[in-house]
Amino acid sequence: MGIFLVNAQALQAETTTGRRPLAGQSMSGAEVIVQVLADEGVGVLFGYSGGAILPVYDAVFRHNAEHPRADGNEAMRLVVPANEQGAGFMAAGYARASGRVGVAIVTSGPGATNMVTPVRDSMADSVPLVVICGQVGTAAIGSDAFQEAPVSNIMGACAKHVFLVTDATQLEATVRTAFTLARSGRPGPVVVDVPKDVQNAALPWHGSGELLLAGYRARLRAVEQSVLGDADCGAFFAALMRAERPLIYAGGGVIAAEASAALRAFVDEFGLPVTTTLMGLGSFDSTAPLALHLLGMHGTAYANYAVEDCDFVLALGARFDDRVAGVPDKFAPRAKFIAQLDIDPSEIGKVKPADWHHVGPLRRALERLTAYGRAHGMRPKLGAWHAHVAELKRVHAMNYDRASTLIQPYAVIEAINRHAQGNAIVSTGVGQHQMWAAQYFDFRAPRRWLTSGSMGTMGFGLPAAIGAQFAHPGKLVIDIDGDASIRMNIGELETVTTYGLPLKVVVLNNVGDGMVRQWQKLYFKGRFASSDKSLHRKDFVRAAQADGFAWAQRLERHDALEATIAAFLAFDGPAFLEVMIDPDAGVYPMVGPGASYAQMITGDFIASRAAPAAREPSTSNMF
Amino acid sequence: MQHTLSILLQNEAGALVRVAGLFAARGYNIDTLTVAATHDPAVSRLTLSLQCDDAALGQILQQTRKLVDVLQVAHPAPALAA
Ligand SMILES: Cc1ncc(C[n+]2csc(CCOP(=O)(O)OP(=O)(O)O)c2C)c(N)n1
Ligand SMILES: [Mg+2]
Repeated sequence: MGIFLVNAQALQAETTTGRRPLAGQSMSGAEVIVQVLADEGVGVLFGYSGGAILPVYDAVFRHNAEHPRADGNEAMRLVVPANEQGAGFMAAGYARASGRVGVAIVTSGPGATNMVTPVRDSMADSVPLVVICGQVGTAAIGSDAFQEAPVSNIMGACAKHVFLVTDATQLEATVRTAFTLARSGRPGPVVVDVPKDVQNAALPWHGSGELLLAGYRARLRAVEQSVLGDADCGAFFAALMRAERPLIYAGGGVIAAEASAALRAFVDEFGLPVTTTLMGLGSFDSTAPLALHLLGMHGTAYANYAVEDCDFVLALGARFDDRVAGVPDKFAPRAKFIAQLDIDPSEIGKVKPADWHHVGPLRRALERLTAYGRAHGMRPKLGAWHAHVAELKRVHAMNYDRASTLIQPYAVIEAINRHAQGNAIVSTGVGQHQMWAAQYFDFRAPRRWLTSGSMGTMGFGLPAAIGAQFAHPGKLVIDIDGDASIRMNIGELETVTTYGLPLKVVVLNNVGDGMVRQWQKLYFKGRFASSDKSLHRKDFVRAAQADGFAWAQRLERHDALEATIAAFLAFDGPAFLEVMIDPDAGVYPMVGPGASYAQMITGDFIASRAAPAAREPSTSNMF
Repeated sequence: MQHTLSILLQNEAGALVRVAGLFAARGYNIDTLTVAATHDPAVSRLTLSLQCDDAALGQILQQTRKLVDVLQVAHPAPALAA
């Protein structure tokens, strides 16, 4: 389903609003907000209350009282985090795992500023959110009132859009429009700042209508309606048929566009191997023969060598960011042709010039290319390239010290993966554990991998997993976290047990900021400024127990790994597992900042190609 | 090289800040900026000049077009009629 096509949630909204059951009725602004949410099919909200948003919280309470459900659940569940940042990441985890718009509601001032990080994070990873913030009364705006913050200024710089509703008559259309903005085009977070007097205003309910936004809608229409003509398809295939070693580089855009099936069909037809970005994991079954898994700074050696060797790149919803194309000139140096498909015109050629491009909905574009190629009998002969790729995967396979008596983090992920088999939803914090999870899990379908890709926000993992569990109550959801990352939002452990979520939380404890130490080893002569936590006193297991985890254990012996993981995952309810891992375990391969893929370090256990003279990276300012 | 852009903007709360903020956040220095009313009270015209090379200009034009309140971006700015 394309992001432009009406999805099920929106469809439901349209039919509900189409009937306009309440049209003409008088409501408070707060009730208007809740009614728009109900029409949008929102069944769960994440947020924290406070003075400036109390009317909305009260309206949610009354809505639930007036709409009892047969199953006993509330019609619009309100999930309360420990901190608004948690609510934001829960909404984001919900959105990433479901493809629907995540909704968060917070109060003014500190409530809203605590929401800045998840809003920016969602912007950077193109995640659709609607965030409703209470604001001080319109008459008090600009007076340094209690709990006043310039939300429109702050969020304007980091959201897809922000509305400050000063005219109460615009409230209904504004909230409805926020959903359209969040999910259309390149998805993103939309903030609606609602002064308290607007929440209390008496308003007529219309039941339909959105803001005009003539400029945005005209540009959106142009992109939505752009189709690949025969000449475009012909030029694409002419280049592809000349290529001997074509490669697909798939990013998060494939997932946002619900284009995985279209990608699969394209690959089945034309045989291009696929490497995915961190955000693109799951867009193509990583266990498929033509899958090369992750590329980039910590990509698999075989993916990165395939990028070195390829002579044609098809970039799909991917933006050549610095973790992939750290040195744009040296990225895919043998590629004679770069083709780029994206929904966002500003991404075309932003980092690397494209020889061919198309701006439009990805799924339709891929389907069109497949149909054209099929109709014109395009059958690239890629036997030699396939053999080469298979050999790269065999020779440069991921590996680690399997003889060590210290618990290797890779082995932990592999053990969990044997149970999950690509079917679990996995979230992560940020750091080494995130990269190990990306490298060692299988990703068989989209929306099962939740990670803070562009912002790299520590503290993302636990709340994102909570949000995902609300989206998929029956699914196995696992948070793979780091000892430092989980501390950032550790208050949300209690949220897991409060709501009785059967979430599985894993902390890979290397007693510190492992990723920071890895860089300090490489670029700061091993001076571990502030990254060592051996003096920290936290007992994670007792912390989890204190928050109500009935299953909380610490794993310290590698020979107990398999049995512990099995018991942990089998537990029926919230479970917490701390694993004391080899603190010196590193993330390999690694393409250092300023280095090309040819200069990739593969470590002691992954075969490298004849290593070119290692170059001392000149700067480490990319961290 | 010196470029002059003309931007038609919806008169929404914070719209001007978002345009100026976009240029600042992406490292573009605005040399001059004029905001003028148009015949439509809901729309303002921004005329903005800056120094940048052509590639950077292409990027900032595309980024400006992503701002929801922006109706139109013209470059070079049409000669000011009145
Ligand atoms: C909010 C935030 N602050 C700082 C950083 C910088 N940073 C990146 S990884 C990392 C260490 C993470 O440690 P941990 O969560 O224990 O993961 P590990 O690397 O040890 O697996 C730090 C401090 C960040 N990414 N996010
Ligand atoms: Mg750590």
